[in-house]
Formats: sequence, structure tokens, C-alpha cells
Amino acid sequence: MSPTIFYSLSIVLVVFSLLVVLCKNPLHSALFLALAMIDLAFIFFELKAPFIAAVQLMVYAGAVMVMFVMVLMLFDLKEDEESAFSGNPVINVFKFLSAGLLCWAISSKLFSYGDVAGLGAGKEFDIKALGTTLYTKYIFAFEALGLLLLLIAVGAVALSRTKGGTHDS
Amino acid sequence: MEKTLLSILLLTPVIGFLINGIRFRSKNIKVAGSIGTGAALISFICSVALFFKVKAAPDHMVLVKFFDWINIGSLNIAAEFLVDPISSIMILIITGVGTLIHLFSIGYMDHDERPAKYFSYLNFFLFNMLVLVLASSLPLMFVGWEGVGLCSYLLIGFWFTDKEKAAAGMKAFITNRIGDAGFLLGMFMLFYTFGTLSFGELNEMMPAIPEIGWAGPVTLACLFLFIGATGKSAQIPLYVWLPDAMAGPTPVSALIHAATMVTAGIYMIVRMSPVFMVAPNVMMVIATIGGLTAVLAAAVGLTQWDIKKVLAYSTVSQLGYMFLAVGTGAFIPGFFHLMTHAFFKALMFLGAGSIIHAMHHEQDMRKMGGLKKKMPITYWTFMFGWLAIIGMPPFAGFFSKDEILWLAWASPLGSKWLWALGMIGAAMTAFYMTRLMCLVFWGEETRSDHKVKESGLTMTFPLMVLGFLSATAGFLGIPHVISAVLPGHPPNILGDWLGHTVVHLDIHGSAITEWLLMGWSVTVAGASALLAYYCYIKKITFVDKFTEQFKPLHQLVEKKYLVDELYQAKIITPLIGVSKILWSDIDVSFVDKCTHLLSRFAVSCGKGFRSFQNGNMQTYAFYMLLGSAVTLFYIMTGMGK
Amino acid sequence: MIASTITLHHCLFLSILIFSIGAFGVLVRKNIIVILMGIELMLNAVNLSFVSFGYFNSSLDGQLMSFFVMTVAAAEAGVGLALAVTVFKKFKKIDIKLFETLRD
Repeated sequence: MSPTIFYSLSIVLVVFSLLVVLCKNPLHSALFLALAMIDLAFIFFELKAPFIAAVQLMVYAGAVMVMFVMVLMLFDLKEDEESAFSGNPVINVFKFLSAGLLCWAISSKLFSYGDVAGLGAGKEFDIKALGTTLYTKYIFAFEALGLLLLLIAVGAVALSRTKGGTHDS
Repeated sequence: MEKTLLSILLLTPVIGFLINGIRFRSKNIKVAGSIGTGAALISFICSVALFFKVKAAPDHMVLVKFFDWINIGSLNIAAEFLVDPISSIMILIITGVGTLIHLFSIGYMDHDERPAKYFSYLNFFLFNMLVLVLASSLPLMFVGWEGVGLCSYLLIGFWFTDKEKAAAGMKAFITNRIGDAGFLLGMFMLFYTFGTLSFGELNEMMPAIPEIGWAGPVTLACLFLFIGATGKSAQIPLYVWLPDAMAGPTPVSALIHAATMVTAGIYMIVRMSPVFMVAPNVMMVIATIGGLTAVLAAAVGLTQWDIKKVLAYSTVSQLGYMFLAVGTGAFIPGFFHLMTHAFFKALMFLGAGSIIHAMHHEQDMRKMGGLKKKMPITYWTFMFGWLAIIGMPPFAGFFSKDEILWLAWASPLGSKWLWALGMIGAAMTAFYMTRLMCLVFWGEETRSDHKVKESGLTMTFPLMVLGFLSATAGFLGIPHVISAVLPGHPPNILGDWLGHTVVHLDIHGSAITEWLLMGWSVTVAGASALLAYYCYIKKITFVDKFTEQFKPLHQLVEKKYLVDELYQAKIITPLIGVSKILWSDIDVSFVDKCTHLLSRFAVSCGKGFRSFQNGNMQTYAFYMLLGSAVTLFYIMTGMGK
Repeated sequence: MIASTITLHHCLFLSILIFSIGAFGVLVRKNIIVILMGIELMLNAVNLSFVSFGYFNSSLDGQLMSFFVMTVAAAEAGVGLALAVTVFKKFKKIDIKLFETLRD
């Protein structure tokens, strides 16, 4: 991957991410989140992880985002709220600063560590190897996740079925 | 082997206590009584076996350690039991007399509502008393000491629905606590000075030269221990609880308040005789208190009409004798008297119990009389007790009492005054005991409305055994002068046996003096008894004239010197006043306010911190993020290094 | 910072940047759905770091780990949205403040 592609993809990703957080309309946020995810799928692809990139596109940019959008449309929030942000603006500044502190804390020493092989050093794995590892080395985690998803499906249905306070019947 | 025996000895009463305690609602006295008596009997058999073990042991001592109890720094106390000549005799008395009294109780308590509870208390008492006498160190003895106090409280107040009886129990308990505080202080003092509390080590560590003055550590420690003994053994000034303790069932009075528990103080002093010998001043105090108690209590005994009260004051007075004995250094005669007294006083209490039971709980002697024919066994056994207590040869009391009087006269620690006190006490004892006999057995019948008949075998059998012992126990400790003239020169069995561990003084008095004193005391007692006989049977008016002559004195004695009223006025009422002041002024208006201030501070702090817990998830997340960011920053920038 | 070759550090920096942006969104937004979106962003940032670690170490484990993360993220989104639906049903709003009523 050439630096040019990486930098451009990175800048786009950061911009989309910021737009997700800062857009007033939640639907716009959802749109930018989908875009950011597609952008990230490209980065994955560039990192020689084509399967993950595909899953990213299908699961995230596809399924999860559709779910978000559907829920948003279900709510049908017509009247827009005065502010997208909660609480005291001063405190929000502090929140921003603390997020920045986190970012700075990790990145401050990042580039001072010794030489690491540049991009392109990675070995490409085919999907077959991925599948073999998944069903041998990580079989237990895989099964456990299957169970988790089942539980979540049941739980989500159970949660949504409960009657809201304003409904009488 | 010894360990097994000792375990059985100690644990059977506990098991009996638990069984009867669990089924405390049971009203079946036969079952409860069999369990209780059986447990006591097994203990007695073990005691006999242990006695022979000790006899066979080369140094007459069996030391059994069960486990380490307290191990803090230099304080090492083991649950260790010592069977030596003194404690082996004590366990024989406790379990032997205890078994008889358990048996007697089956008859005596037959109409009671809660016999199982009663027998469980009795068994628990036996256990505690055994711990007390077998303990090899002061703290372990203190465990038993407190335990018997508890059982005494429970049994005095056994009929607690009667408010007066419950109050008597509490009085006994509280009075004992005052003494116990002294006991504890003495214990601390000894530990502070010698760094150990085991009897064996303490007795060995004692300096050879007696302390002079009052401020020596051993003197103070012994004084405190003696205060403990006055509480438990009912001596001046803490004797007030014992007469009230007669509120309990009569067998309890026989077991706890005559034969065993009240002698714990004497036992403790005998056990620590080498320590007390180092403090001659304390010995003097003990002898004086003992002598005074003997006389003053006997004087009260002269005026009482309640049969149990007479016996109670008699017990106080006899305990005074024992303290007189140990105070003059006559530990072995004191212990000897403890033993004979256990027999004859238990006998008399049980006899009184038998009478009271037959008279349907009538205790006033004026309403008795002429029971001689109606209750022959009780009468004859009581007769033995009477002869023993007034010191008629060859009954048990004669040997022990005369040895005490002789030593009070001749011992280097004794004096003629102490002997005189003892003598007056003996004369009074003879008088009031004869008076009791006259009023109860000999006089004419005053009550014919009740069908009084002899008690059953469970009650008369213990009487017979104790009567036999009262008559013969004296031969265990025949004094030297008497054995010198007897054929075969019988040895002083008890004296030789106890001499292995107890300090004994070599008295070099002339045999003629001893014979004279002996004759004198028998004569005085006999004359006094005869006087009483004439006063109460032949109805000469001596007593009436005498009381008329010294009316204030008589009334003072009859009212028990107003000691209870004095304590009430001078100690209890001011104490209550001070407590009230402390309660309202110090506790409510100062301590409580301080605590309220503190609690308000805590509440306001909580209110302050509560704002952090506002339930806003974003705030929580903010704290989390901030925390992790700061931590990461600290690590990554290397500020920690 | 701008180098001719892209190293692991660049990828990690990008990752932490996205993570911080997502976290900021979670902290400040009012709408529960947008907060969930912020969480998705954070999870994606983590995925990025996993994949790049795997890439630069020539290992498959990174990719597999991100695969698991995605699964969990999908599950989390499902539950989160179900909760949002419940809150909306009751209050006709989806303000995160409404969860404060759980305190009492």
C-alpha cells in the first residue's frame, strides 16, 4: 500500500468519524458512519485482510447500519431538539479534553519505539487458512459466540416486547 | 489413660447438661433425674479412678494438657488440668456429694414444672466446679470460678417467677462480681510480677523471705485474691448474698451454697499456699476476717427462725472458721474442715430439704416440732450432722474444728484473740444448732393438720450416706496428740496425703495444752448445747430475759446488723445517683451530642459524594475515560519512573 | 510523521484517533442511537488495531480477533437498540438522561 492511499483513506476516515459525532441529525450521523465503515473496509483490504474487509462491508456497513437506520425511522423524530449535546457545555469541553488526553497519551511515545517493518511486509493469508484456524484454534470462542448471538436474539426480542408506559393494552 | 479418665470426668456432666438442656421442656423427672444423676455418678467413678492413679504416681501428680488456650507473647496458658492431692480430694467431694444431691433432687423436685432444666443446670455446675478445682493455672480456674457463679445465679433464681427469688439470684451474681474483679486484679498483679499464672510455676517462684509491709506485689496480689475469695466464699464484707441465696431449691443450697462452690475461696488459698505464706500481713487479714465472720454470722444464726436461714448463717460462720484456719497457716486443717463441713452441712441441708418437702414448703421452725417420731431417718441422720457441727467427739467436726482452734492458739501466725473468736463462735454454733434440733425435732408437735411422713428412699439414701460420712470422716485426719494415745497410733491420713503439696507448719506446742484446749472447747460446746436444750425444751426463761436485757443488741443481730440496709444506703443509692448524673449529664448531653455531630458530619459528607453518583451514565463513562487516560498518560510518559 | 513508508505506528495512531473521536461522541451526545454509533466507532478503531497488528506480525490471529469483535459488536448493537426502543416506547424520546430514572 502506498502512503498516498493510506493517508487519503485515513483523512477521509477521520473526517467521517468526526461528522458522525458532530452531526445534529442522527440520520446524517448514520450515513457518515456507514461511509466511515466502507472507508475502513478499504483500509482492511489494503492491510491484506480481504475477508475481514468483506465482513466489514456486509455486516457493518450492511446489516448493522440498516438496523440503526431502521430504528431511527421507527422513532420518527420529527421535531428536532435544540441541541445534539447533553449537559453542560463546560463539562463537554472537559470531556473533549480528556478524550484528547487519551489520544495524546497513547500516541506520544508511539513513534519513538524502534524500527518496525514498513507497509508491505505482511504476508497474505488465504481464506482457507483463516477458516482452518477459526474452526481449530478458536473453535471454543466460535461456539461461545454462537451461543451469545442466540441469547442476544432472545434478549432483544424480550426487551422490545415489553409494553411501554404509555400503552394501556 | 489419665487423659481419657479426665476427659470422661469433665465431659459427662457437659453431656448430661446438653441432653437435659435440649429436652428442657420435659416434665418427666424420672428421666431427667436419671440422666443427671447418671452423669454425676460416672464422674464420681472417674474421680475414684483418678484418685488411685494419683496415689500410684511417683510424685503424686497427674498433669494432663488438652490444648493451648491462650498464646500471646509471653502469656502462655494451656487448657491443662492438674490432679494432685488437693484437687483429687476436691473432685471426690464434688462428684460424690454431687451425685448424692442429684439423687436427692429426684425426690425433692418431684412436683416441679421444669425438672430437666434444673438437672441440666446442676450438671453444668458440676462441670464448672471440676474445671475450677482441676485447673492448673489461674485463668483456667477463673473460667470455672465464673461458671459456678453463673450456675449459682441460675439455680438461686430457678423459681424466677417469684420476684424476690429472682432478685436474690441477681444479688448473688452482682456481689460475686465485685469479688471477681478483685480476683482478676490479683491475677494481673501476679502476672505482672512473675510473668506466669500457672500454679506450679508460681509456687516455685515465690521468694523465700516473706514480704514485710503492705505494698509488696505479692501482698497486694494476695489481698486482691482474698477479696475474690470473700465474694465467692461469703465472708465479711461480701457475705450478704449467701443468706438470700436460700431462695433456691434446697438441694442447690446443699450442693452449691454449703458443700462445694462456697469453699472455692478456701480451695484457692490452699492451692496457692506458698504464695500466701509470703504475705504474712494478708494472712493476718484473712484470719481476722475469718474469725469475725465466724462469730458475727453465728450470732445472727442465734436469732433466725427460718430453718434454711439458720443453716445459711451457720455456713457463713463455718466458712469463717476455714478462713481463720488458712489465715493462721493451718492450710491442712482448713482443708480438712472444708471436707468434713461439706459432708455434715450437705447432710443438714438435705435433712432440712427433707423436712421442708414433708412440711409442704414450710420453712419456719416455729411451725415445726416433734418431727422426731414422724421422720425417724431424717432425724437420726440430722442428729449425726448436729453432733458433727458442734464438735462432739468422735464425730467429724470435732477433729477438724479442734485442730483449727489449736493452731489458732499455737501457730506463729495465730494469736489468743483468734482462738477466743473461734471459741465464742463454737459456743454459739452449739447453741443455735441445738436450738434448731429442739424446735424441729424434739419439741411438742405444733402442727397436726398436715400429715407429715418420712420422705422416700431417693431422699433418705443420700442422708444415710452423708450421715455415715459425717460420723466417720474425722478419722481421716486424727491429730497427732490423739493418735499418740490411741492403740496402733493411726496416722493422720489426710494430713500426710495433703502434705505432698500444701505448706504445713511445724507446731511445737505442748501436748498438755492441746489436750486442755480440746477438753475446754468440748466442754464449752456441750454446756452451750445443754443450755439451749434447757431453754427450748424445759422452757426456762433465760432467752426471754436475755433478749429483754439487751434488746437493742438483740434487735440489731436479728436484723442481721442492718448490713443490707447499710449497703443500700451507703453504696447502692449513691451509686444509682451517680449513675443517673452520668447518664443525664455526661451521656445524654455530652457523649450523645458528640456522636450526633459526628453522624451529621458523615451524612453531609455522603450528600457531597452523592453528587458523583447521579445516575448519569455519560458522567460515569467520563470518569472511566478520564481515569484510564490519566493512568495511560502516567505510564506512557514515564512519569512513574 | 509523514513518512515514505507506512509503519504499524501510523495505523495505531489512526486507530487511537478514531477511538478518541468515538469516545468523545459517547460522552457528549444526547441521542442514545448516536451514542451507540460512537461505540461502533470505538469498536471499529479496535478492529483496525487488531488487523494492523496481525498484518505487521504476519499473523492470522489479529484478523480472527477482529472477526470476534465484529460479532460481539453486532450483538451489542442489537441489545442497545432494543433498549433504545424500550425507552422510546415509555418516554417518546430517546434522551440518554432518561436512563437516570433507573436510579430511583
